[in-house]
Amino acid sequence: MKFTWRIWLLIVLLLLSILAIKPSFQAGVVVKSIEKNSTLFEDGLRAGEIIKKINDKTITNKEEYTNAINEIFSGNETKRIDIITAKNKYTAFASEPPKITVEDVPKTKLQTGLDLRGGARALVQPEGEITDEGLNNLIDVSRNRFNVYGLSDIQIRGVRDLSGNKFMLIEVAGATPSDLKELISKQGRFEAKVGNVSVFKGEKNDIADVCKTDATCAGITACNQMQDGYVCSFRFTVYLTEEAAKKHADATRNLTLDESGKYLSEKLYLFVDDIQVDELFIGADLRGQATTQIAIQGSGSGKTQQDALSDAKSNMNKLQTILITGSLPYKLNIVKMDTISPLLGNEFTYLILIAGMVSMGVVAIIVFARYRRIKASLALLFTSFSEILIILGIAALIRWNLDLPSIAGILATIGTGVDQQIVILDEATSESKTLSLKERMKRALFVVIGAYFTAFASLIPLYWAVAGLFKGFALTTLIGITIGVFITRPAFSDMIKRIEGE
Amino acid sequence: MEEKKEAKHENNEMTEKGEGLYDRYYKWLLVLPAIALIFSIIYLYQFNQQNGDIILKDVSLTGGTTITVFDKNTDVAKLGADLKKDFPDLNIRKISDIITGAQLGFLFETKEDAQKTKTALESYLKYNLTEENSSIEFSGASLSAGFYQQLRFAILLAFCFMAAVVFIIFRSFVPSFAVILCAFADIVMTIVVVNMLGISVSSAGVIAFLMLVGYSVDTDILLTTRVLRKKEDKINDRLWSSFKTGLTMTLTSIAAVGITLIIIYNLSETLRQIFTILLIGLSFDIFNTWITNVVLLKWYAEAKQGGKEE
Repeated sequence: MKFTWRIWLLIVLLLLSILAIKPSFQAGVVVKSIEKNSTLFEDGLRAGEIIKKINDKTITNKEEYTNAINEIFSGNETKRIDIITAKNKYTAFASEPPKITVEDVPKTKLQTGLDLRGGARALVQPEGEITDEGLNNLIDVSRNRFNVYGLSDIQIRGVRDLSGNKFMLIEVAGATPSDLKELISKQGRFEAKVGNVSVFKGEKNDIADVCKTDATCAGITACNQMQDGYVCSFRFTVYLTEEAAKKHADATRNLTLDESGKYLSEKLYLFVDDIQVDELFIGADLRGQATTQIAIQGSGSGKTQQDALSDAKSNMNKLQTILITGSLPYKLNIVKMDTISPLLGNEFTYLILIAGMVSMGVVAIIVFARYRRIKASLALLFTSFSEILIILGIAALIRWNLDLPSIAGILATIGTGVDQQIVILDEATSESKTLSLKERMKRALFVVIGAYFTAFASLIPLYWAVAGLFKGFALTTLIGITIGVFITRPAFSDMIKRIEGE
Repeated sequence: MEEKKEAKHENNEMTEKGEGLYDRYYKWLLVLPAIALIFSIIYLYQFNQQNGDIILKDVSLTGGTTITVFDKNTDVAKLGADLKKDFPDLNIRKISDIITGAQLGFLFETKEDAQKTKTALESYLKYNLTEENSSIEFSGASLSAGFYQQLRFAILLAFCFMAAVVFIIFRSFVPSFAVILCAFADIVMTIVVVNMLGISVSSAGVIAFLMLVGYSVDTDILLTTRVLRKKEDKINDRLWSSFKTGLTMTLTSIAAVGITLIIIYNLSETLRQIFTILLIGLSFDIFNTWITNVVLLKWYAEAKQGGKEE
């Protein structure tokens, strides 16, 4: 059989998809999150690294990791812990287990959705009108607050529906924090203190505004080369109300200067829900001043100027977000809250695979029984499998979370795909006196393209409906049928032309 | 000349006598789908009068709580009976292993809020419901009502888009109208059966109706294309060849959907409902495509041919 460029295109895409899905056979556990104030973090251990050994014990899964850690830290005394990852070796001395969360190394790059992996999902609606910028701020603030609480494997995105309602969709995969609900419904209690004196609480009557996107009052001021890298400094303005300005003046009036003479002896401490999140030096010139505009300064560092710049930007963003936190004028309502146990997840995946295999097998048998052509039936099977792999490849590439609706979408795509392949096969095997094989193929492709456009048109509205909860279904199906009509169907019709031409 | 060609043609399964009868009386076949459609519409009208809507909605569309508890021992029937007085709208279902049939857990559905339901279940089961042993899904009432409206609107929009595409493809009224009528009949008749089975439709179930829009037009497009564009054969031969192809298509779809349905039946409410609705819809599609659409098309093609000959 001679391969045409369409068949080659299918084969190349197939290989690329397998590459994108990237089945991994690595043993070990992958670090999902690590406490920032820990020795291991300072040594360079980061999320994403794969732990291979702990104190010479080989780690192949999460259970072995837990056992190894429990064994080391069974008592209260300080112990040495050696962690060997795929990249590096780290050593720490501690009396309690390192604050790391781990997961088994994923077998593929495919990400499964909450309904398969387990986790919690909340759809939150701010009360009253909210602008796009307001929603983005809200998302930043929420992300920040979750980070304060050490929840990092979390996805927050803004969604809107057909009626123009805006929501914030929060998904925490893997572990399910039972306090997610409490965390959302409670507004971040922000407090700034000078020493022990509370200066402002970030309520509407404290902080009037925080300059965030305006370049005239927020931005990077300078980048300098230091001994071992670069340091960039930032500056942004916070507008206080008269009342808060007065409190600030009272709190700083009797303070002395520090050794450098540039700053006051007490710092400004920032708290969210009583957890200290940052501390800032207060410029000497601010002592006792009832100023309504204060400039907050800070810096970021890195090995290259680019690193330092992005570190500074992220630090600035974090601070701005914290300062806005308390001043968010929205009351949040949880309109949908799901916690899904991961218990049945594995069984699901397994059964769906079985269902897919058995269905394909039966379809192949029906097709063979109808047309009595073994090669063509095998080509049909091959094409459908390629289609699944390419859809999964794209899902892996765009990091799409495969949830149950997406899986239904894939199954539906394969179903319509098989239907269209039957149309092609049928035209190819029909004995027409007047039309050549090529002309009949053309007619088959007309049907295929017609069906494609009707399906495409009918899926479009779903993309936006229902706060994007069925986006997964719409997207996978759209991707699937598009691949079908442009890649797999033309390749299949070429295969059939060759087979029938022989 | 046509006679000769037919003798050699593979589609000679139809006997000439049968064909003669069919040609004479085929229009009468339309009575069947017409009765079915009229019955369906009257039924749905009545249903709407009684229930306030044309479908029964589950908590994902009305608001409420679904708790799935992975409990192998609790007597589900007894639990349902005992908690019925606190939760009159309660809907309870066992989840079991497909192979052994052993109970894996149960699903508890009510319009009440999550906290009340959870507390009541916990005190009945005498243990706490955690992420390890249960899943809890809660949707607020106004959100769910909004979802339902949007889904309905999405389906209406999808249907209109589909209709527009069909008109653009075929550029003639009767054949396009026939395709759209079939898709409409598929959906309406499926809703009737879903109601008769007493299924409360979830948001995923509504999506299944949308999938049906896409699935059902495939065979209609094939049929219409063959009849309108395959000029070399007699109309009956074109119909017969499309019927064989289309039936293979629908049967493979039914086989695939049926098998998947059996395998996931007791595990996932979402997939179960999607595939049940698809299965019913695909079955109606055989009826609507190969009676309604075929008859309308044959009528149209013959009228056109007759017109030309005159």
